[in-house]
Amino acid sequence: MNLKGKWRVGRIVFLVILMLAVCLSGFGCIKGMAPIGWSGGSISDNTLFVGTREGRLVAINLADESRLWTEPLKQVSQPGLFGCSPMMGGGCGSGSAGVAIYGTPMVYGELVYIAGYNGKIYAYNTASLALRWVYPRESNLKPFVGGIAISGDRLYIGGEDGKVLALDTATGDPIWEFQTGDKIWGTPALYDGKLFIGSFDKKFYALDAADGSKEWEFVTEGSIIATPLVYNDVVYIGSFDRHLYAVNVSNGSLKWEFTGDNWFWAEPVVVNDVIYAPGLDNYVYTIKEENGAKIDAYDMASPVSSRPVVVNDSIIVATRKGVVYSISLITGQVSQLADFEKDVDGPLTEHEGIVYVHTPDGSLQRINAATGAILRSISLESQN
Amino acid sequence: MNPWELIIQQPVTNVLIVMSHYLGDSFGLAIIALTIIVNICMFPLTLSQIRSSKAMQDLQPKIAELQKKYGKDKQKLTQEQMRLYKESGVKPAGCLVTMVIQMPVWIALYQSIMLALAVAPEGLLNLSKYLYSWPIVYSILPLDRSFLLLDLAQPNFILAILVGASMWLQQKMSTTVPSDARQAQQSQMMLWMMPMMFALLALSFPSGLSLYWVANSIVRVVLQYRVTGWGGLRRKPEETTVVTDKKYVKFDDSGERKSVDDVGADIVISDSDPTRKDVYQPSKPSKARYQPGKDRAQRRRKN
Repeated sequence: MNLKGKWRVGRIVFLVILMLAVCLSGFGCIKGMAPIGWSGGSISDNTLFVGTREGRLVAINLADESRLWTEPLKQVSQPGLFGCSPMMGGGCGSGSAGVAIYGTPMVYGELVYIAGYNGKIYAYNTASLALRWVYPRESNLKPFVGGIAISGDRLYIGGEDGKVLALDTATGDPIWEFQTGDKIWGTPALYDGKLFIGSFDKKFYALDAADGSKEWEFVTEGSIIATPLVYNDVVYIGSFDRHLYAVNVSNGSLKWEFTGDNWFWAEPVVVNDVIYAPGLDNYVYTIKEENGAKIDAYDMASPVSSRPVVVNDSIIVATRKGVVYSISLITGQVSQLADFEKDVDGPLTEHEGIVYVHTPDGSLQRINAATGAILRSISLESQN
Repeated sequence: MNPWELIIQQPVTNVLIVMSHYLGDSFGLAIIALTIIVNICMFPLTLSQIRSSKAMQDLQPKIAELQKKYGKDKQKLTQEQMRLYKESGVKPAGCLVTMVIQMPVWIALYQSIMLALAVAPEGLLNLSKYLYSWPIVYSILPLDRSFLLLDLAQPNFILAILVGASMWLQQKMSTTVPSDARQAQQSQMMLWMMPMMFALLALSFPSGLSLYWVANSIVRVVLQYRVTGWGGLRRKPEETTVVTDKKYVKFDDSGERKSVDDVGADIVISDSDPTRKDVYQPSKPSKARYQPGKDRAQRRRKN
């Protein structure tokens, strides 16, 4: 082939690649196809632990803002063409730089636990972040999206393989497992020796935390992702069928149900016998704990997928668009505290009146809930 | 939600989800069914595109002839080509226009499949804002991603091969080897390049998207067959001899190359005796308007 021919071939190759890149990156890529992670924070001894989008666990000393990182969690597979891979969700572009971490780290004793989208559970020393154990040691399970619940010497988690696992907190050895009918993305809740967890199989399970045997199950019309809230012997769980259910802890019987206009994704909170249930229909509903009657609905102008926090006499809510509101528990007045203009999907964290919001730019935003003052953000990236 | 999402992406996504419900909760079947339905809706445009393309290919010998005749006079060549197109009733931009009209639909379908697959947790969360207030839509999600032993959210090697093979088949049927050796080389390269690129992409994307590519290619192959027959698939590779100092191409004739689809394939352009009757003689284009597809139908009836 002469020089002209080679040039022509090169031009064709370039055009084909350009066309594909434009079609797939420009038009084709769908927002939210790549896992990024939305880990919330957990605070112990004035140290905040949170999973970063680099796939690390970071410990932030809240007194001096010094930070300590773990080694990055290990990817299952390498990214494919155009930054796409099964582990990255098959999408293009801005996936997590490392293993996505969705669950909030849990601190128990001298260890902090975290589960990754790579299908592994890790235990680190809280002081040094040295790895204590990892489960499973060799292979990987299906990804973990939900968080961890701990009681006594046991750690509980549900995975994408539909299994609820109970592990020994000290060694990571498995104690029991329970198979549900589909994936689990929610975080379990513990109450009175029972473990509550929802599954994509549209069922809400109550298991005996001691041996993993099923005590009862409650069937809904939609998948369950939300983390349950347990209060006064009643467990509250949101479903994809647009209902929030109140189920009696003892026998799984329905107490009442409340209907919204979209999925209930985030865990509700309860204050003074009033349930504050955020929905993806842009509203935060206030519901009477006693009978499920709607008291009010606050329009947040954007879906709410993160768990709100209670600070003094107000509820702090962050919308998916990154706007943070304060709802007064006394007057019911809604006031905007901040607009970060970044997606907020993970649960909020509160400590000594400061609300911490993990944003996808790899920062921890801080707001003084009392004054509404926005404090300087803390970078979670190890390079900054 | 921007207008694109509101008018195109949201309806297609919801239809896809509802179809999954009515097809036994099978997202794979919904992808195939929606691809077929969209192809049926786009049939007039696709037909027009295929016919325009076929007509352009049928004119290749005459264009080659004009190139030979007016090769040095570019202006005259353009004029003659335009006259030929006009007399034959062929619109060179026809293929492009129909392709441009169809493109948003294909992109919407592609986006909806990726959206409904909701591979990552963020994807499912993002999907919620596209849903209509239909109870079916809310309850069926997230969709069951298993289909014929495949996980539609994961890449699949066999499906990637099928993507490449079906695209190659479709392209092979719809292209003919141009008379010019360089163009022929480019055409051959494109014939292999696109399927290979898509096959490689299929190895990185969820196989739900690959399923859509395969289904789409198969539907297009069927349409192509109905309109133009096997097209380039039946044509034997032509032995071309480039005579560099004379700037034309000599095509060897062969007795087997008498397919009704091979309009102009038996043309021999030569600088030898122009009075010879056993070779194709350049002639003025017929005044009769060219009617794509009809010639072939008439010849079929004769046979």
